[in-house]
Amino acid sequence: MIARPPAGAPRPYRFPDLVRQELPNGLGVWLVPLADRELVSVHLLTDAGAAAEEETQAGVAGLTAQLLVTGTRTLDAAAFAEATERLGIEVGSESSWDSTRAAFVALGDHLDAGLDLLAEMVTAPRLDADQFDRLKAERLNDILQARAEPGRLADERFLGEVFADGVPYGRLSAGRPETIEALTVESVRDFHASRYAPGVADLVVAGGFEPDEALAAIERHLGAWTGSGPGHRTIEPRQRGERRVVVVDRPGSVQSELRVGHLGIDRHDERYFAAMVMAALLGGVFGSRLNKRLREELGYTYGARCAFDPRRAVGPFTATAAVQTEVTADAVRELLGQLEGIRDAPPAEDELREVRDFLVGVFPLRFESTAGIAAAIEPLAVYGLPDDWWHAYRSRLEAVTTGNVQAVARELIRPDDALILVVGDASKVAEELRAADLGPVEVVPGS
Amino acid sequence: MSEVPIERHALDNGLRIILSRDPRSPAVAVNLWYDVGSKHEKSGKTGFAHLFEHMMFQGSANVEKGQHFGLVQAAGGTLNATTWLDRTTYFETLPSHELELALWLESDRMASLLPAMTQEKLDNQRDVVKNERRYSVDNQPYGDWDERMQALVYPETHPYHHPTIGSMEDLSAASLDDVREFFSTYYAPNNAVLTIAGDFEADAALTMIQRHFGPIPANPSLPAPPEVAIPARIGEAVRVTVPDQVPLPRIYLAHRAPPFGTDGFDALDVAADILGSGRASRLYAVLVRERRLAQDISAFLFPIVGGASLFAMWVTARPGIELPTLEAALLAELDRLAADGATDADLERVRNLQASRTAASLERIAERADRLGQYACLFDEPERINSEVGRYAAVDAGRVAQAMRASITDDNRVTLTYVPAEAAS
Repeated sequence: MIARPPAGAPRPYRFPDLVRQELPNGLGVWLVPLADRELVSVHLLTDAGAAAEEETQAGVAGLTAQLLVTGTRTLDAAAFAEATERLGIEVGSESSWDSTRAAFVALGDHLDAGLDLLAEMVTAPRLDADQFDRLKAERLNDILQARAEPGRLADERFLGEVFADGVPYGRLSAGRPETIEALTVESVRDFHASRYAPGVADLVVAGGFEPDEALAAIERHLGAWTGSGPGHRTIEPRQRGERRVVVVDRPGSVQSELRVGHLGIDRHDERYFAAMVMAALLGGVFGSRLNKRLREELGYTYGARCAFDPRRAVGPFTATAAVQTEVTADAVRELLGQLEGIRDAPPAEDELREVRDFLVGVFPLRFESTAGIAAAIEPLAVYGLPDDWWHAYRSRLEAVTTGNVQAVARELIRPDDALILVVGDASKVAEELRAADLGPVEVVPGS
Repeated sequence: MSEVPIERHALDNGLRIILSRDPRSPAVAVNLWYDVGSKHEKSGKTGFAHLFEHMMFQGSANVEKGQHFGLVQAAGGTLNATTWLDRTTYFETLPSHELELALWLESDRMASLLPAMTQEKLDNQRDVVKNERRYSVDNQPYGDWDERMQALVYPETHPYHHPTIGSMEDLSAASLDDVREFFSTYYAPNNAVLTIAGDFEADAALTMIQRHFGPIPANPSLPAPPEVAIPARIGEAVRVTVPDQVPLPRIYLAHRAPPFGTDGFDALDVAADILGSGRASRLYAVLVRERRLAQDISAFLFPIVGGASLFAMWVTARPGIELPTLEAALLAELDRLAADGATDADLERVRNLQASRTAASLERIAERADRLGQYACLFDEPERINSEVGRYAAVDAGRVAQAMRASITDDNRVTLTYVPAEAAS
C-alpha cells in the first residue's frame, strides 16, 4: 500500500483579539473587528433564558424572545419585518436555558441601521396582545407537530424521564403546553420588564467595522437603556431513579429512536476538556466508537452519537441513535457495551490522538464566518469564562491524556444508572427489551 | 460585493480544475462534482447513485475501510458527500498544510475503488442506507412528500420521476456487479470537476493534482446524458390526498418550472422569495400573520437542470382551518403576483436579502468551492458564482409576472394534501 502523503508546514491561526468594554449602564460590549470581512454579526444576549422563569410560567422566556420581532413602539409587526428585510437583515430572537439571543448578520454598511432596529426591538418592543395570541397558538401547534416526529418526541420524553420531578431541566426550555396555555400577554410584559436590562446583557459585534464608529453607534442606540435585572434562579438537577427502560409507544414506527443517558456536567466543570475529548471519542466524530460499531460494523443505524449538554447547572449526557425496529434490543445492548468499554480501559494513544488532533485542527474552521466568531464569544459573556478562553483552548485539549479519558469516563459515564428511552412500536420491541434484561421495562403511550 | 477569484485548468485526461485563492484562514476546501446523479440510474436500480456514494467511503486500493474519514479527521478536517438528481459531490475542508492528503484520498478512490470492494461492505452500507431512508422518509410525518411530488410532476419515463434515496426493493437488489459497472462508467476524470478554494499556492496545488490525478485514465466512452426533454407544463391538474400520522394537515403544491440556470428560473426564484422568504414575504404576511390560516409556509425551487425544474410550496393548516379556505387563500396570493407583478418594495427586499445571504454563504470556503464546482459541472461556467447576485437583481417586475403566468397555472399543478389518518378513516 502507498502511504498517505506527508503534511506540509502548518500555517498559524490565532483566534482574533477582542476589545471588551462596559457602558455606564452596565451593558457589556465585546468587539471583534476583522478588517478583511464585508459582513458584520451582532448578537445581543440577555439573562432572560428559561432558567429565569418561574416554573408555573414555563415557556414565557421563549415566547418573549419570539414576540420581540413583532414590532417596536413605532413599527408594527409588518412594518418591522419590512424595515429589517429591506436592509437584507433577518433578525432572529430565541431563548435557551441560560440566555436569550437577539441577532442578525448584515453587510457592513447596514450596521448602524441594524443596531438601531435591534436596540428598539429589545429595549422597547411592542408586545401587543394580538401578536402574542398568534405566537402562543403557533407555539402550541409546534409542540403538537414536534410530538409527531419520533426524534423530537424522544428528546422531550428523555428529559422528562431522566430528571427528577420538580427539576426545571425535565422539560424543553421552550416550555410545556400546560404552562404555555396559562400565559397571557401580561406575563410576557412582566417578564420583559424585569428581565431585560443592560446590567445583565452583553452585546457582541464581530466582522468588518470600525471599532470607534461601532462603539459610538452602540452608545447612541443602547446607552439610554436602564436597569440591573434580577438574574437567574439556581437550578439543582437530580436524576430520577435507577437504571430502567421506558418504551414510548409509537405504533407503526419502522425505527426505534434511542436516547440512553443520565446527568452529565455543568459549564464550569473542571473536567470540561477531558469530558469533551472523551465524548468525541465515544460518539462525537464519524469514526467514534458508537458510530463505528452501530453503523459501520452492524448497519443498525444511519448514525449513532453522544454528547454532554453543559449548562449553568448540570445538564444531561445523552447517547442517540435511530435504529431499525427489528434490532432494537440488540442495538441497546451494543450501545451500553460501548458505554461500559470506555470506562473499562484507557483508549489507545492512536485513537486519542486522532480525536484530539481533529478537535484541535478544525478550530479555525469554526470561525470562518462572522456569525461563528460572534457565537464563540457567547459562552464568555453568559458563563463568565476567561477572556483568553479561545487562546488557551487548543493547548488545553492537547493536554488531555489517555489516563484522563478513562478517569473522566469512570466518573461521568454511568451505564448502570442510565435511563434507556425507546420511541418505537411497543408491540414489536417491548417483549424483546424485557427478555434482554436491561432493567425494568415500562411502556407508556406516545400520544 | 467582492469577486471570487477563479483560475481554470484541465488535465490531459479531461479532469477540469477550478482554483480559487482566499488567504484569510489557513484552510483549504477540496470539492469534486461528478456528473452523475440519480437521473442516470436504470430502471430497477433506483437509489444506486447514492448507495454508490456510500461505497466510496469504504476504502480503495491504498486506503482501509474507515480511513478516508479517519485520516481527514485526524488531520483536523471535515468531510462528507451528497448525491442528488443531477450529481454526486464529495468534499473535504482541511488545514492548508494537509491539502495533499485530500487530493491523494480523492484520487485513490477515483483511480482504484474496485480492489477494495467486498460483498460484506456492500451489505453493511445497504443496511445503513435503508436506515437512512427509514430515518428521513418512512418514519417521518410528511416524510415522502418530495418523492410523491417528483412522481407526479415528472412522467414515469423521466429520470426525475424517482427519488434519489431509491426504493427498498431496488436497494435490496443492488449487487457488486452494479458497483463495478457504475464505477467504470461514471467515475472517471473526464466526468468530474475538482475545485480547491482557500489558502494555498496555485503552482504547488497544480503539481500535486498532476501527481495524483494525472495517471488516471479517462473513460473514452462516457454514455450520452439521459434524455430529459419534457413539456414545460404537466398538462393537467393533479390532486392527491394522503392520510398520514400528522397532527396538522398540510397542502403541498408543485409546478414544472424552467431549468436551473435559465432566465425563467431566475425570475421564478425571485417570485419564490417574494412569496415565501422572510417575515415580510407575502405568504407569511397574509396566511400566517394576518389571516392566521397557516402555521407555517414555504416556497422554493429545486436547482436542477434536466428539462424542467420543480417549484414547490407548502402551507400547514392551523387547527380548525378548513382546507379549501387555506388553499383558496394560497392560490389567491399566487394569482395576485401573476396578475399585478412585484412591487418595488418586494424587489428591494428580496434583492437585499439575497445579497446578504449570498455573502454569508460565501464566507465559507467549502460553500465557495461547492458553488464553483456546481457551475462548472452543470454549465461549464464557474464564473457564474460572481454573477449570481447580478442575475437575481436583474429580474424586474415584468419578468416576475411573466414567469408566474407561464408556470403557475391550473394545468401545471400538483396538489398533494396530507391529512391526519384518523380524520380520513
